[in-house]
Amino acid sequence: MTRIRRSYVRPVEVGIPYVLVALALLYGAATVPRFLSSRELGSMSQTAAYIGIIAIGQTLVILIGGIDLSIPYAINLAAILLTGWQAANLAGAPDLAIVLLIGIGIGAVNGIGVAIFDVPPLVMTLGMNSVLEGVALLYSNGSPIGNSPGFVSTLATGEVAGIPYVVMVWAGLIAIVSCVLVFTRFGRYIYSIGASRRASSLSGLPVRRTIVAAYALSGLSAAFGGVLLAGYSGQAYLGMGDNYLLPSIAVVVIGGTSILGGKGSYVQTVAGALLITVIDSSLITLGQSGQDILYGSVILFMAYFFQLATSREGRVPRSVTGGLRAFSGWLQPVHSPKGRVTSPTSEPRLERAR
Amino acid sequence: MTLPRAAPSAGSWSGRRRITWQRSYAAALIGVVLLVLDIVFSGGTFSSIQALGITNDALPLALAGIGETLVILTNGIDLSVGGIITLANVTVTVLSQHGLGEEGIIAAIALGAAAGLINGLIVTYARIAPLIATLATSSIFVGVALIILPLPGGTVPGWLPGWASGSLGSLPVSVIWLALLLVGGWVLLHRTRFGVNLQALGGSETSALSAGIAVVRVRILAYTFSGVFSALAGVVLAGLTQSGDPTIGAPYLLDTIATVVIGGTSLVGGVGTIVGTVLGAVVLSLVSAVLLASGLSTYIQYFVSGGIVVGALLVQTQMYRLKAKGSARRRQLALDGAGPSAA
Repeated sequence: MTRIRRSYVRPVEVGIPYVLVALALLYGAATVPRFLSSRELGSMSQTAAYIGIIAIGQTLVILIGGIDLSIPYAINLAAILLTGWQAANLAGAPDLAIVLLIGIGIGAVNGIGVAIFDVPPLVMTLGMNSVLEGVALLYSNGSPIGNSPGFVSTLATGEVAGIPYVVMVWAGLIAIVSCVLVFTRFGRYIYSIGASRRASSLSGLPVRRTIVAAYALSGLSAAFGGVLLAGYSGQAYLGMGDNYLLPSIAVVVIGGTSILGGKGSYVQTVAGALLITVIDSSLITLGQSGQDILYGSVILFMAYFFQLATSREGRVPRSVTGGLRAFSGWLQPVHSPKGRVTSPTSEPRLERAR
Repeated sequence: MTLPRAAPSAGSWSGRRRITWQRSYAAALIGVVLLVLDIVFSGGTFSSIQALGITNDALPLALAGIGETLVILTNGIDLSVGGIITLANVTVTVLSQHGLGEEGIIAAIALGAAAGLINGLIVTYARIAPLIATLATSSIFVGVALIILPLPGGTVPGWLPGWASGSLGSLPVSVIWLALLLVGGWVLLHRTRFGVNLQALGGSETSALSAGIAVVRVRILAYTFSGVFSALAGVVLAGLTQSGDPTIGAPYLLDTIATVVIGGTSLVGGVGTIVGTVLGAVVLSLVSAVLLASGLSTYIQYFVSGGIVVGALLVQTQMYRLKAKGSARRRQLALDGAGPSAA
């Protein structure tokens, strides 16, 4: 029996982020006292679990060639609804289920806009984020009330034998998501659509249905993240999801999943979540500003690294001085005949022509 | 069998140009409707103070939107607009606090240009997708701004508020600036080599390369312009609020894209006008004014601005789809007619 080689998950690309995680752990151990104590490791894995769970959906959506910018207020709305209902004495497992269903609904609307009405994902989800912000403000009237239900708080902060519950949940989700991506049709459709939506469509794959499902799962994971965050802090507050937009994309990109879709895996996102958490914890004195700069720099560095490592042409980018030299001629008048001459810096790369 | 390509008719460029401009008419139309609504809600009057509020809101939006339009025309996106606005805003106000008013403004604009240049170099030479590259640099710019000014504060040069948001008699200064931007934007996009090359690049990068356009240079320049215009928006906002704020740029992420989309610019590049973007900025600030005048909850604002941008894009994509269907049908009919005789 011949099997199709799954070239979209490459051992080297999966390995590199994990090597960096190990290096970051060593650096932390060398510079921060008791960095590798079980207590410290437990709290780091917990932090990574929150980001990692929220980034499940972002991974799926990016793999399929989209992006989800509605995560901040999907998180926030889920948290506000959960605690709000607790305050209204509706607390219980059904509430949790309804909140998660609302998350799925939010994602499905995103997916329908993208898949069926061809609205670019960036605008669809950014607009959705603003709409959800409005809903959250209207529902809470500016000041969310209530506390998170007891069992949610236990799930989010409890631990057994030094291992936080949320880390166990995350471990289970890592296994499930990875299996779904590798072994199920749905997973293969995601890679296929991410690689080429047109080819997938012409091959008769259920493109629209799969895209809607990917966005719905993104809404679900954001809502679950919101529930966990509400459990963590015991209550909901406005803007609690704002600090998760950039990280959710950062961990996907840092893991080496291509932002153009079709290449990457959730295991790599897990490495990204671990890496950013370990770096963050080893640089203990970072304030908000330092964290912003760190996230931006790490994203740029890793995106450039993977761009070089996986570039099909494998060519080294031309020098920066060459780029500056290219500026010398841009002020020429419109109708200069010289302007028609191809300059060396703009040689056609026709291999990219469609 | 290879199908014969339809020969470009003499009117094809003018047809394309017509479509480009048609897309901005919608913004003008919506603007007029909103203006009427605003007047109705405020009891049938339209004072110069109302006009001042609307155009003062529109000016920074238009500035940031123009930069974003240039980048979107190249088939890219600049998500660092908010970050650069913040960076420029805090630079002006902190330097002004130390007695460096005019120098502060020059420094802010230079910083904006440098920030945009960095974006452009990253996108072209490091070949990182614009979405990721500008999202990452935006985070860095905001981080730097937080170091410069951790909490809201600072001052502005005494003359800046008058220049950015004052009135000449009953005419808001911002109206004059908006008019200048309309004309200047038209000249930049349609009467300079840069502007024409930019549109060509967005239409088809391969064709632009084949035609000898220095694609890399044009793209870097578009991002640099975006940085400069965002910095100008940050300076204008400093004049408007008369202080600095390290979070002032955040809402501009959605709002600038909304401005560009309402103005009729296509998000896939090549089709769009700066004139439309300026109209889009006015429309967006009219929406705020109407909501304010209607007495609804201010929270509705978020709901509406999110809905508007999605709605505007929905209309755009569906219209485009209908048009594409129509022209495909016409082409097919023409081929069916020509086919047998050619064979």
